[in-house]
Amino acid sequence: MAEDDYNDMDMGYEDEPPEPEIEEGAEEEPENNNEDAVDDVVGAEDDKEQEKTARPRKTSKYMTKYERARILGTRALQISMNAPVMVELEGETDPLEIAMKELRARKIPFTIRRYLPDGSYEDWGVDELIVEDSWKRQVGGG
Amino acid sequence: MFFHIVLERNMQLHPRHFGPHLRDKLVSKLIKDVEGTCSGRHGFVVAITGVEDVGKGLIREGTGYVTFPVKYQCVVFRPFKGEILEAVVTMVNKMGFFAEAGPVQIFVSNHLIPDDMEFQSGDVPNYTTSDGSVKIQKDSEVRLKIIGTRVDATEIFCIGTIKDDFLGVISDPGAAV
Repeated sequence: MAEDDYNDMDMGYEDEPPEPEIEEGAEEEPENNNEDAVDDVVGAEDDKEQEKTARPRKTSKYMTKYERARILGTRALQISMNAPVMVELEGETDPLEIAMKELRARKIPFTIRRYLPDGSYEDWGVDELIVEDSWKRQVGGG
Repeated sequence: MFFHIVLERNMQLHPRHFGPHLRDKLVSKLIKDVEGTCSGRHGFVVAITGVEDVGKGLIREGTGYVTFPVKYQCVVFRPFKGEILEAVVTMVNKMGFFAEAGPVQIFVSNHLIPDDMEFQSGDVPNYTTSDGSVKIQKDSEVRLKIIGTRVDATEIFCIGTIKDDFLGVISDPGAAV
């Protein structure tokens, strides 16, 4: 999706990305259930496919604008289809607005699978990535 | 023959079922979808006895649905050629009779019914020996041997015989009364 974009970004950063904690598991953007059930799934992915965990991830620790768009879009779609919301609402009703609020609170239960040109991939949890808006301001989280 | 095997299935889950009970929802949907179905390869799925593993979900782009690979243990029933089964007769006509062993339909042609049994038409069509001691009619229980199976993608149909030693009626509803 955004190869060019994050290659640029790769140049830009100095320090190593944070150690992969759980990741390098299986699927693309796993639905980590909700609050209570989260542990469950995380536990499950811990057991499997550990072999990849050893290698440090090398892609950017910043979320690309394409990733952000896709995540917000997908999450808003799910919210519009009655998926349970992971943040406290203060009168918001627009699914996209709720999705943005969830992203700001880093509560979106997805994992991004970044495919590299050689076919390998890296998994990054949405909560691990630094989200900037289009004016390069860091949004939420942190 | 019955088998206890592990099967895998990709389950699509609607976003409204996400949340703390995601797994329960997945399992109940699995049971609803799978129990009672028939695949040519494994036979009839009689019951799900347990869920081994729910894999990581994959988000379906554009629909918001999430696909989970689910591994489950189940009991399957698959008839084989040469297998001996007990079955209940459901229909009798001059070409033979149909019997059911659980979900499987078995047809026994009149060529495969012992030669001394004759078809008797009438109110309760039946096959009877000349001396009247053995009678096959609706609801009789028979022991039969499967001599042929036709396996489709979603259906299994069998041809049986009772023209062999130790095969035939085991209990007769008429005699019991």
